[in-house]
Amino acid sequence: MNLFGMMEISASALGAERIRAEVVTSNLANAESTRTSEGGPYQRREVVFAAQRPSFALSLASAGPAARDAASTGVRVREVVNDPAPALVKYEPSHPDANADGYVAYPNVNPVSEMADLMGAARAYEMNVSAITAAKQMIQQSIEILK
Amino acid sequence: MSLVETPLMKSLARYLDVTAYRQGVVAANIANIDTPGYRTNDINFKQELDKALQAPDAPVTPSPQQVPGLLERPDGNNVNLDREGLLLAQTQLHFATGVALLRSELKRISMAIQEDKA
Repeated sequence: MNLFGMMEISASALGAERIRAEVVTSNLANAESTRTSEGGPYQRREVVFAAQRPSFALSLASAGPAARDAASTGVRVREVVNDPAPALVKYEPSHPDANADGYVAYPNVNPVSEMADLMGAARAYEMNVSAITAAKQMIQQSIEILK
Repeated sequence: MSLVETPLMKSLARYLDVTAYRQGVVAANIANIDTPGYRTNDINFKQELDKALQAPDAPVTPSPQQVPGLLERPDGNNVNLDREGLLLAQTQLHFATGVALLRSELKRISMAIQEDKA
């Protein structure tokens, strides 16, 4: 693995954490959406991360016995899943989406836990930016040898 | 041994190789901080450096291993942000040290070459 490979790993994490933040903000934005195109209230979504093998170019660069090393794994968003938790029901008879008994199904989104998740994504993003900065400085230092 | 390549330079080059590799392992750990089931990897630095120094012409091929004794989260992930952050800074400084030593070694040789001009 070279230093550019290290940057590639951290960059994959930046992308994944950004998608996570996007999904969380979409949950927050739709915290009160009682109508969706699929019918029913909005359902909370969650990302599932999976470790990813390095790209072809990276494997080629470290060809030979090192190519199969287990540690050089970036991360990717494997899927975005719906949270199966039941909708929150509130008694609002005047609401247009209320059922016959006057109850409205609201999305199963808890703004507090979403905010915590958003902070987690932001912190993880920052940490990976630090890793990229470290790699950049190391490359810069290597160039210094030539001077 | 060539005239301008000292044994120390060769050793330092291997040291930088192993350090850069370790930094990559740390970056992978940080990247997977939220991946369910991911286990923290690391290399045994001393052992891998010894290996690299004993075979100076072979490519550096450390074997990363899972780190034991870390607290596991309910999703099976055991990446500790403090550990990785510290290791990231530490490895970066190791690398900087290696570069500084290598530069001073090159400067010494350059000085020897320039000596007759003084």
